[in-house]
Amino acid sequence: MLKPLATRFLQHITNQNNWSREHLIDFAGKVVQFEIAFIKTNLVILEDGGLAIAAHTTSPEASIHVPPSLALRILSGDEAAKTQVKVEGNVHFATELSKVLQLMRWDVEEDLSHIIGDIAANKTVTGSKKVFAEAKKQTVNMAEMLAEFWQEEKPILAKKRHVVQFNTEVDTLRGDVARLEKRLEKLAKTHQESNSK
Amino acid sequence: MNMSEDSNNNTTHFGFKTVNEAEKQQKVGEVFHSVAQKYDVMNDVMSAGMHRVWKRFAVDISGVKTGDKVLDIAGGSGDLSKLFSKKVGTNGSVVLTDINASMLAVGRDRMIDAGLNLPAAQCNAEQLPFADNSFDCVIVAFGLRNMTHKDIALREMQRVLRVGGRLLVLEFSKIWQPFEKLYDAYSFKLLPLMGKLIAKDATSYEYLAESIRMHPDQETLKQMMLDAGLGRVDYYNLSAGVVALHKGYKL
Repeated sequence: MLKPLATRFLQHITNQNNWSREHLIDFAGKVVQFEIAFIKTNLVILEDGGLAIAAHTTSPEASIHVPPSLALRILSGDEAAKTQVKVEGNVHFATELSKVLQLMRWDVEEDLSHIIGDIAANKTVTGSKKVFAEAKKQTVNMAEMLAEFWQEEKPILAKKRHVVQFNTEVDTLRGDVARLEKRLEKLAKTHQESNSK
Repeated sequence: MNMSEDSNNNTTHFGFKTVNEAEKQQKVGEVFHSVAQKYDVMNDVMSAGMHRVWKRFAVDISGVKTGDKVLDIAGGSGDLSKLFSKKVGTNGSVVLTDINASMLAVGRDRMIDAGLNLPAAQCNAEQLPFADNSFDCVIVAFGLRNMTHKDIALREMQRVLRVGGRLLVLEFSKIWQPFEKLYDAYSFKLLPLMGKLIAKDATSYEYLAESIRMHPDQETLKQMMLDAGLGRVDYYNLSAGVVALHKGYKL
């Protein structure tokens, strides 16, 4: 039941974003594996440029892996997090598909308008967007406040500059140890040569 | 060659019975003549409406686009042809076919009632009256298991497909093992009873349950499609394997 429903939904989104077909049609028949947080699914590009859940026996040409922590960062709008998404296999195909998927939008208002009418749909979607934006803002505020508390008041989290400083010191120490090793080797060699004479 | 058929003795299976090949076509014909008028109601009752979801899924997976040519084999009451005709638009075409005149008449009338002027042809899937490389998509839904020579029918479907075209086979298949007993009880006890009460024909629905059990499982059908000359054959299990959708390409 899940496959038909998921495929129906994907087709619906593709129909709402018809421009995406011309970008994907060249990859018809190719399968990509998405592993986002705890969800793992294979998607196939259809002959009409649409998207569908892939069959059981197909092996993916590319894979896109987004761990839960990265998924949260992407959801919160962290642009830098997008560059850390792990893409394997046919990278050109996976990258094109990712780009298209990021630009695709579900026009919820249009769908709702068929059920409750245009005005009610507009009000519902606008209201939901406001609620969602406020909830997101409050969540980010709360996360920042907690981070600050755990860094300043009750330190259990390391500050970024402290981590950077620590890493620099470790690098310096590593270099010093390497130099000392070389020096000791050199001294040992000299000592050995003087003994043999 | 399909294991359920024995061409040396010219016998094949009709449900659990072994009959002459010539007899099977006639017997299948009798079954569908008998159930034609109640076919849709029975499908809805038997599958709790799920047959619509399976068919819709097959159309979604087909990748058919505007302007494509589609052949609906054993199209019966025309559910798939109707869905496909929306996808292909006015530039494309859908041909509804069935070997059974009663079923085809039901389908043709429904198409007309829906305002669709689709060509409908009564023909045997083992001898398709179409030229090579004619269609972008060929589909057979719940029809292959009734065919006497499935291997010949699959080769014919491959023949009429153009290169790059795909064959979709939607058919009952092997259910996930833990559900087998429950499914058997439903098929052999409840199904004939429903057939008796609704379609006044328990025998036809006994045949339905038996023919499902005699039909090749997912992997066997996949191999048959590969043997028929199709490539990149894959399948989807639907409703825990009650139904499987196979898709293969003419390469």
